[in-house]
Amino acid sequence: MTAGSFSAVPVPGGNLQDLRRSVREWCASHIPDDWRDQQRGVSREELVAFLQWWGGQLRQAGLSAPHLPAEWGGGFSIPEQVVIAEELARGDAPRNALYHVALFNVAPTILRSATPEQCERIRSGILAGEVWCQGFSEPNAGSDLASLQTRAVRDGDHYVVTGQKVWTSWAGEADWCILLVRTDADAPKHKGLSCLVMDMRLPGIEVRPIRQATGASSFNELFLDEVVVPVEQCIGAENDGWAVAQGTLSAERAIVILDMTERLRRNGIAAAVQDASERVLESGERALEDVAVREKLAERYAESEVLRNLLSAMIEDVIRGADVGGTSAVIKIFYTELLANLMRQITDLHGLAAQLDQPLLESAGWESGFWMNDYVHSFGWAIAGGSSEILRNVIGERMLGLPR
Amino acid sequence: MIATSSLSIAERDELRAAARGLLSRDSSSERVRAVINETPGFDGRLWDEMVELGWTSLHVPTDLGGGGAGYAELGVMLHELGRAIVPSPFLASSVLASGAFMLCERRTFADEMLASIVAGDAVGSVALANAAGSYDQALLSVEWEHDAGSIRLSGSSGFVLDADCSDIVVVAARDAAGAPAVVAVDTAAPGVRVEHTPTVDATHRLFTVSFRDVVVPDDRMLTEHGAGAGELLDRVLALGVIAAASDATGVAERALGRAADYAKDRVQFGKPIGSFQAVKHHCANMAIAVEASRAAVRAAWDSLDRGPRAWPMTAAVVSSYVGPACAEACALALRVHGGLGFTWEHDSHLFLKRAKLDEVLFGTPSWHRRRLAREVIGDVETPEECTA
Repeated sequence: MTAGSFSAVPVPGGNLQDLRRSVREWCASHIPDDWRDQQRGVSREELVAFLQWWGGQLRQAGLSAPHLPAEWGGGFSIPEQVVIAEELARGDAPRNALYHVALFNVAPTILRSATPEQCERIRSGILAGEVWCQGFSEPNAGSDLASLQTRAVRDGDHYVVTGQKVWTSWAGEADWCILLVRTDADAPKHKGLSCLVMDMRLPGIEVRPIRQATGASSFNELFLDEVVVPVEQCIGAENDGWAVAQGTLSAERAIVILDMTERLRRNGIAAAVQDASERVLESGERALEDVAVREKLAERYAESEVLRNLLSAMIEDVIRGADVGGTSAVIKIFYTELLANLMRQITDLHGLAAQLDQPLLESAGWESGFWMNDYVHSFGWAIAGGSSEILRNVIGERMLGLPR
Repeated sequence: MIATSSLSIAERDELRAAARGLLSRDSSSERVRAVINETPGFDGRLWDEMVELGWTSLHVPTDLGGGGAGYAELGVMLHELGRAIVPSPFLASSVLASGAFMLCERRTFADEMLASIVAGDAVGSVALANAAGSYDQALLSVEWEHDAGSIRLSGSSGFVLDADCSDIVVVAARDAAGAPAVVAVDTAAPGVRVEHTPTVDATHRLFTVSFRDVVVPDDRMLTEHGAGAGELLDRVLALGVIAAASDATGVAERALGRAADYAKDRVQFGKPIGSFQAVKHHCANMAIAVEASRAAVRAAWDSLDRGPRAWPMTAAVVSSYVGPACAEACALALRVHGGLGFTWEHDSHLFLKRAKLDEVLFGTPSWHRRRLAREVIGDVETPEECTA
């Protein structure tokens, strides 16, 4: 490469401006202009086919896992990951939802805890486009995850796994499941857990979709009836599963929420402004001219800026190696409340018109433009990945040292 | 003249530690309670010490005797002064008056004044609001006019910080045609009257300054009147907003620390109350507000240090979030203390009152959101019949 030129394919190690330009150009030539229109109201099969296609596009361009090491198709520094996330959001790229568990939950966990052989097998599968799901939560183990009851009984060179998992995204499409099970029923609850990798084609696995409040079925129940999992599929030491399951690192969490924040700014705040400029209120005034509407939009805009400031501070801390456990809980709550407030506010802005039913746009994530449904969808964020109530306990106990 | 941050993170941490050490020793809340009931309403010895240490002129260029640091360092000091709820002319003199003298076009008088402020020979303040406390430039209630090589001012300005101990006040005025001007006025000049307007928060001291045919030399107009003066006022106001937010963040951080300590100590129903989720979640909400405010304020000072672009917009973002969030955090801190927090002897009300004043000191969050909306959403189109 000569000085001043830049690679058509984004590569790590160059200067950030060149990387930004090449990702921006890639987005312009690879993101279909009309994907939102095309994907609205599609069947489950069409949704999955679209996400498979899109995941493949990202993989080929080396953009699906910037946060992972080079041999996993990544190798980008944290500032480079920020640029890539910003540009994908700016280009309104569909979310890489089908592969999210594999790339952001499984891969970091594997990298920390698996043997080289396990790592290699899982890496080559993920690079070939295998889909993963995560079997952690259970009907009686939600916020109190460590109380989970799914049993894995050691029998020679395999475990026999029996139990029930819930809230498992993409279980119907997944090739593999990363599973948290109880291997020692007598140990204290955090000490008797193990982390297994389970082939989803094994006999004894039944997947039942859960229809959620939005009408979509992104989650499943997973029934496991004497599923036989080889012992070499245990990640980390037996009974060390609790530590293994804490695998996703703060850096990845920061990038995931940065991606969501950028999308919120692009597809939420900007869309709200656009809506306000077109909407005529009952009074006959344009919404854009209404002081209350303007003030609220500006307030949300300011919060989105503050959220970016919080993320930048956290990313700096991650680079410096500081502890960001409390900050990531703060950021998750801040994002959740901003999303919910914005979605409610846009819904309110449209009055009765927002109540008309529309086809879903599941590939769009949290700002699909079907605002009443997006508002309902936003409640998912206050629950998934640590409910806001549990996260407030985390902040109180870990940041402030309050007693349990 | 723009301040540029030159200190490393470690040096900034040292400055913070030094300030916190000195202020926790010399400005305990008992001391604060004592000095606000005496004249001049702040601790003169502490102020002299701060001048001596160079803290009051950190961001002033070194050739004028200042520290040559940036706004970010000023932010560190403001945060610490907020933590210790220190009454002092720092905001008025070091931030606002110095800021106006640094940012204005006409240098001669401004440099002289800066040097005096740096040396501790003078204290300054700014009068940017109208008599009713509005910062809208169209509503200024001081009028200026040319008068044979001089400038004549009349009218009054409200909510002026520390005017009674200020030697000079930078005044926002408009002429009969509505053109804004920024004029430095000696408080000892004939026709200037300074009147205390006691506030609920006694750790800030506010005054009404009135001008009755006050005549000052031409060179006291700090920037060409009109658009340039309007821009200068916007920028000094932005400094004020972000400075007040830094102060509020410090106050809220201290209130949070006190509340968390109390929640660990206070036992009811056989347990520390901090183990109850209702209390724990109040504390967590305070921590969210403090953490987010710290990030917002730091980013704002850093952006000021990077250059003169978009100060009013940066300030509007800060005003919209930080003021209300920090005031709410102080309110929650009072609640966590239960009946004790409602007593005069406990400091909770001092924190709450200071944060509530900070929230609106340089324009209400609501007004700043409207200004922000003009940038983010665009102006409301003026109906044609009004423009004719």
